[in-house]
Amino acid sequence: MKNFRDIEQLSSYLDGQLSPSESARLESRISSDPELASAYNDIRAARGILRKLPARKAPRTFTLTRQMVGLKPPLPRSYSVFRFSTTFATFLLMLTFAANAIAPNMRLGMGAVAPAAQESYSLCNGCGGGPAATEAPMAAAPAPETGIVPTQMPSVISADSAREVGTPTAEASMPKDSGNESVSQDQPEVKGEALIPVLWQIVLLSLGLVSGLVMFVMRRAAMQKWK
Amino acid sequence: MDEPALIQTAQRGDLDSFNTLILHYQDMVFHTALRILGDEDQAADAAQEAFISAFRSIATFRGGSFKAWLMRTVTNACYDELRRQKRRPTTPLEPDTEDGEEMDSPRWLADPNMTPAQQSEADELEHAIQHCLDELPTDFRTVVVLADIQGMDYSEVATAARVPLGTIKSRLARARLRLRECLRGFEELLPSSFRLEEERNS
Repeated sequence: MKNFRDIEQLSSYLDGQLSPSESARLESRISSDPELASAYNDIRAARGILRKLPARKAPRTFTLTRQMVGLKPPLPRSYSVFRFSTTFATFLLMLTFAANAIAPNMRLGMGAVAPAAQESYSLCNGCGGGPAATEAPMAAAPAPETGIVPTQMPSVISADSAREVGTPTAEASMPKDSGNESVSQDQPEVKGEALIPVLWQIVLLSLGLVSGLVMFVMRRAAMQKWK
Repeated sequence: MDEPALIQTAQRGDLDSFNTLILHYQDMVFHTALRILGDEDQAADAAQEAFISAFRSIATFRGGSFKAWLMRTVTNACYDELRRQKRRPTTPLEPDTEDGEEMDSPRWLADPNMTPAQQSEADELEHAIQHCLDELPTDFRTVVVLADIQGMDYSEVATAARVPLGTIKSRLARARLRLRECLRGFEELLPSSFRLEEERNS
């Protein structure tokens, strides 16, 4: 067996891959070296056998269908506009529902926080030293007679009494009281009113539905045209 | 067939143009896959996969030999199939003896790649050659199939197999030598011209 470099050269020579000078040198070696000539014949024989192998025909046709390659029908350019409007309208609609669901709770929360703050304030007055503190328990006494809602009562009364006394603490609490009053008066009205009007929701819903319908029709038409 | 024009339109997504190319190349693609895989069903699957993959990536074809580019897709599909086989190897069913044990005949032990059925089929030259091809390492087999069976030149084979030209030369030489050794076992099947070479050599 010749060395592998010789075998490689013989193989390349068979395929006409050697330069004329290399070919001439190899040819002279083949004619003078029986072992090299034998290797040459072996390789040529193997190559010849493979080339004689009959070509096999495909058992079926391999042509592709649109489904096989996942092709989709070409859609008109305006399709993307409708797709955007459907998505955007749906998003806004969800947002309006969320806003309407959250807004009343937030207002209620704010309304609940204010009286609690007042209560703690009046309690503090009761427990702390100073003139206002001495007045607060006395002022709390007539509350049941006036018939005011208990949550509002202590602070209002304490404010009135504080005003009479004219202490700095009472003066400071006055704006708070007036603000709380207005909130507590508004509360029942806000509860029944949505943040985003229902009309807007209907408009957004209609927009989403119409755009979606147009998209569906466009896709259907493109599919039929494609077929 | 105006191949460049068909390729161009196929690159724009025209399936009909690509199908025309398929009809032109399908026999060659199937035959290549068959010689690499050695099984008709697997070769048909690999050919179909290769065409699907070729259509999806035809936009990446930047000129040159379309045949070589297509053959690269085919060899990739065949390698995928061979990898799949490696992951899920199949054990050939062997006949049981009267005691219910698997028969291990000396002939089978001597040649584990050929079942009795295959042995009888190997009486034909084609099966003998296929058997010898199957004995080659996959990389060698691919090169020899592309160069000697499909008649592609070295640069086309290098493109299809994605290896340098020097590697192609060396693999081809080794593959031819091994094939020659293997085919010696089927001398009686070989064509007379081949046998004459043998006689001349001896």
